[in-house]
Amino acid sequence: MEKKNNWKAWLYLAPVIILMAVFTFYPLINTIGISFLADYDYTTGTSSGFTFDNFAFVLGLKGVESGGTVSYLTDVIQYAIPNTFIIVIVTVPLSIIIALLIAVGLNSIRWVKSVLQTIFFMPYVTNAIAVGMVFAVIFESTGLWNYVFGTMGTDWINNGASSANAMFALCVYIVWHALPYKILIFLSGLQNIDKQYYQAAQLDAAGKFKTLMNVTVPLLSPQILYIMITSFIGSFKEYSSVVGLIGKPGTSGDVGYRNMYTIVYYIYDSIAVNQTHYASAAALMLFIVILIFTLIQFKVSKTRVHY
Amino acid sequence: MEIRLVNLTKVFPGNPKKNIPDTRAVDNLDIVIPDGKLIGLLGPSGCGKSTTLYMIAGLLEPTSGEIWFGDEDVTRLSPEKRGIGLVFQNYALYPHMTVYKNIAFPLTNLLVEDPVVDEKGNKILAFYRKHVKALPTEIPTHLKGEKVKNPFKNGREEILKFDCSHIAGDPILDDKGEQLYVTRKRHLTKIEMDKLIRETAKLVQIEQYLTRKPNQLSGGQQQRVAIARALVKRPRVLLLDEPLSNLDARLRLQTREEIKRLQRDTGITTIFVTHDQEEAMSISDEIVVMKLGVEQQRDHPQEVYNDPKNMFVAQFLGTPPINMFNGHVKKGVLTIGDDVIREDLPKDLDEQDVYVGIRPEGFLVPADKKDYVFNINVDMIETMGRDISLVGSHKESIKPSFKAILDADTKVNVGPLAVGVKPNKCFVFLKDTEERVI
Ligand SMILES: Nc1ncnc2c1ncn2[C@@H]1O[C@H](COP(=O)(O)OP(=O)(O)OP(=O)(O)O)[C@@H](O)[C@H]1O
Ligand SMILES: [Mg+2]
Repeated sequence: MEKKNNWKAWLYLAPVIILMAVFTFYPLINTIGISFLADYDYTTGTSSGFTFDNFAFVLGLKGVESGGTVSYLTDVIQYAIPNTFIIVIVTVPLSIIIALLIAVGLNSIRWVKSVLQTIFFMPYVTNAIAVGMVFAVIFESTGLWNYVFGTMGTDWINNGASSANAMFALCVYIVWHALPYKILIFLSGLQNIDKQYYQAAQLDAAGKFKTLMNVTVPLLSPQILYIMITSFIGSFKEYSSVVGLIGKPGTSGDVGYRNMYTIVYYIYDSIAVNQTHYASAAALMLFIVILIFTLIQFKVSKTRVHY
Repeated sequence: MEIRLVNLTKVFPGNPKKNIPDTRAVDNLDIVIPDGKLIGLLGPSGCGKSTTLYMIAGLLEPTSGEIWFGDEDVTRLSPEKRGIGLVFQNYALYPHMTVYKNIAFPLTNLLVEDPVVDEKGNKILAFYRKHVKALPTEIPTHLKGEKVKNPFKNGREEILKFDCSHIAGDPILDDKGEQLYVTRKRHLTKIEMDKLIRETAKLVQIEQYLTRKPNQLSGGQQQRVAIARALVKRPRVLLLDEPLSNLDARLRLQTREEIKRLQRDTGITTIFVTHDQEEAMSISDEIVVMKLGVEQQRDHPQEVYNDPKNMFVAQFLGTPPINMFNGHVKKGVLTIGDDVIREDLPKDLDEQDVYVGIRPEGFLVPADKKDYVFNINVDMIETMGRDISLVGSHKESIKPSFKAILDADTKVNVGPLAVGVKPNKCFVFLKDTEERVI
């Protein structure tokens, strides 16, 4: 009897397992494999053997020899890695704090739940590229941003804009796009907090900010941890926002200029020019970095997250 | 401090669209709670006890009526300014804080006023600026010229401070006739807090649990932590909302003694909400019985028991509950079935059917007077150690059976029995209003 059940269970699971095997596990393992192959060509599937050099090439530690000249890949170490880390360090804390404040604000208004919740969720279901194009218009040198803030003529994302300006616009866009999902998660968490805790805090004359820091944040810590981990991972993989907002990897007419590169942007670009072995090496390194970050967060959360 | 509720009413608005009627949770409540006393607020579930408590605490705004603390009208005062300690029905301890931090939390917000002293250690007299202007000209020459925030009016009005030793003439008095000194508000220091926390923890006997989180404590311990948290800031009023409802029977007995002891030791005016009449009777100085938001009776527990105003109060108090019978009154004579029970009813009472309530301890076996006997049928005898409980039946009894509590030495057998009825344990209620006649 038990055996038959097992067999049936596997049968039900089979479609998922097969799909996962084909589209998740196999590519995953293959990526690791390819990252150790020299001069891998995915059209022919050939390579010139096992090597550790791909990692060194990607990080620009070792020159690539072709036609007698040695050239170093500098885009990753110069742009992609710093940009990715800036995005992570700026947008993750900022979007979490803003989302938390908005959620707390919304939670104190009763009619919000039904009406505003939908409105706030709209950006989340809107395509990142489409939203990016709207932001691209906003950040035109004659756009809404400059109009509202009186910074007419400043280039944010056009050709000739400085990296700092473009990064600023990019971060604004990423934070804005990241808010709705976080607000939604925080709101549902807030609605589960017993209001007696707030009544108790009020009777004890705790101010609004103190209540937020001493009651709301600790009681919301499971949701905050979840959001922190997922948005760290998401920010490390930022790519579509650059495409959506700027449309190309650099703020210059020069095709080779890639000052807005992110790690994942580099990975996609490498695949497009048949450098899958570099892409795989970069992907593997990104994976390890994300893994380390996530483990650190879990470790920290042991002492910070309650329940 | 005395608490006075004047015509206190709370209506929760309904929703006419969805056909939900308004709820009058508390209806014209008029109660005076004497200073330093423990009052039990007693009533069945949903009668508005918690609502009353929350209004006193300031968490709910009354629809109408007033709340007075001593001679201060606090009806519109926000909760944090009322100086209330509230123990919630489910404690509401912060789950992420240790017991120590839970108790410390109210203290971290507390502001104390210290007098400001000059270099000689003298307190500094305070004058309102407008008072200074009105002073004779020779006095302002001693003015040190330093401006200080007025501690009496939220810092909005400036005052000037003087060196005490130079002050001549009449001191400036506040409205209570006391001399004003310059004071400074400050938070408690860590050491002061620690002392208070440990004192309070000792009072409720939880010193050994200070480093634990609430979920590592038993219900009774959590309850004591909740009381400590409410007491630590030395509130003017302590409110307890069914604090014992989560405890088992033994712990409940023990804890209610502790609450009584604590209240007596601290002398804080306390309101204790419960739907358990025994609990209320045993620890309260006075009890208030409520029904559907309306006060039914307020008195010392024994008075309410011995002298209930109406049928609801009589039925609500006492375990086992009072036995109810259908009776008849004619020319001052009360009968149940064919038996005459009392003859001392008011003669002017119209002939009518009434309800008769007889407390379980109100039966006499054997009957002492020949002329007042009540013929009942004994179905069962339960021995309960100190007492025996007699389960009887009577055709006029409202319930299928009723209970009498008798001394253990009494000799009774199952079957028909003539018992006496103690007149002071036998109450008569009108059928229509359920008000008590005698
Ligand atoms: N927020 C509210 N909105 C509408 N009606 C309410 C609200 N809170 C309480 N009520 C109603 O007011 C009445 C009194 O409620 P309350 O909580 O004061 O009862 P209680 O005496 O404390 O009962 P219990 O012993 O069960 O705690 C009840 O009929 C309840 O349904
Ligand atoms: Mg209640």
